[in-house]
Amino acid sequence: MNTVATTGTPRVKTGIVEFDAMLRGGFMKGDAVMLAGSAGTGKTTIGLQYLMNGIKTAGEGGIYLTFEQHPDQIYRDAKNFGWDLEKLEAEDKLRIVFTSPDLIMGEGDPESLLQEPIKAVNARRVVVDSLSHMSMFANNDDIRQETYRVINFFKRKEMSTLLIWESPQILGSSFSISDVGLSFLVDAIVSLKFVEIDSTIRRAIVVLKMRGSDHDKSLREYEITKDGVKVHSSFKDYQGIMSGTPTRMASEKFVELMGKAAKRK
Amino acid sequence: MSDRAKAPQMPENLLNTLLSSGTKADLLVLFHRNPGLIDTVEGIARRMGKKGKGIETEVSELAKALILQKKKVGNSEVYFLNREKDREVQRDIADYITNRGGKKQSR
Repeated sequence: MNTVATTGTPRVKTGIVEFDAMLRGGFMKGDAVMLAGSAGTGKTTIGLQYLMNGIKTAGEGGIYLTFEQHPDQIYRDAKNFGWDLEKLEAEDKLRIVFTSPDLIMGEGDPESLLQEPIKAVNARRVVVDSLSHMSMFANNDDIRQETYRVINFFKRKEMSTLLIWESPQILGSSFSISDVGLSFLVDAIVSLKFVEIDSTIRRAIVVLKMRGSDHDKSLREYEITKDGVKVHSSFKDYQGIMSGTPTRMASEKFVELMGKAAKRK
Repeated sequence: MSDRAKAPQMPENLLNTLLSSGTKADLLVLFHRNPGLIDTVEGIARRMGKKGKGIETEVSELAKALILQKKKVGNSEVYFLNREKDREVQRDIADYITNRGGKKQSR
């Protein structure tokens, strides 16, 4: 079952088993979730996996709203994970809507733009790729108001929303989700980060906020496999992961030194 | 009688309409590859690396041929693929090519 009641609240599973466990069963139904990360962290993959899981295991239609990336590229990339999006579109289970943000923000109207695809697939999940691109089309004073309007449009349609946020920084300590306070508008925030450990770039996922629910507070390692995203254990032996350049904890250094000394003997 | 049945020569005329300019062919390819595209003339042009002025006549002709549909979103006029008509045209063109191939072989 995909939308399950955990401690009384219906949850929307992403289909990434360990990630759903971090969320204590999945996102809360109808919530607006911000998925923030820099280029290459797998935001699109997680977004598609979230939609695929809704379609395949819960019979929930999905919409992928893209402003920049051409759908033909999304179809191609999804095939690498074994997801045939064109077939799902032909079966009226999915729609990839390719449009301009100004048709949603400002003078635009999400209702008349998205009415047909929402109805065609009976959409219950939507991925907006990306909120950062959308916010470029509003004045700084209006961004909060306009984003609030779009989030509420999907809530009114009883859709669970995943809003992708493109963070400019690849590595480093800065973690500004947005300068205009958009993080207050969403119900949950998930951050994806690159971290450098022993001269290797690895990926970390953390749930920063989840309104009305407990969640895993630890940073977990994840990788993008041929089947999609897989989340692993936490970086328990390291500190300073959020800085992008973590260091091993003293106890681990001690164990390593002792191990080397023992080998020398 | 359906439109398909009463217009057997349609594919040739339609092919002429659809392929009368390179821009129209580019538009068809763009919409075929990205059937969820819904945008203003300016937005569509941007996806093609062109300016709106350079494609507005062709977009309007494809709308007249019912390949594209038009609607209002806020204050803007947007175009999108008529999926049903598109499927019909694809079937007609496939039939036409098959039949032509058959005729050529029988000569």
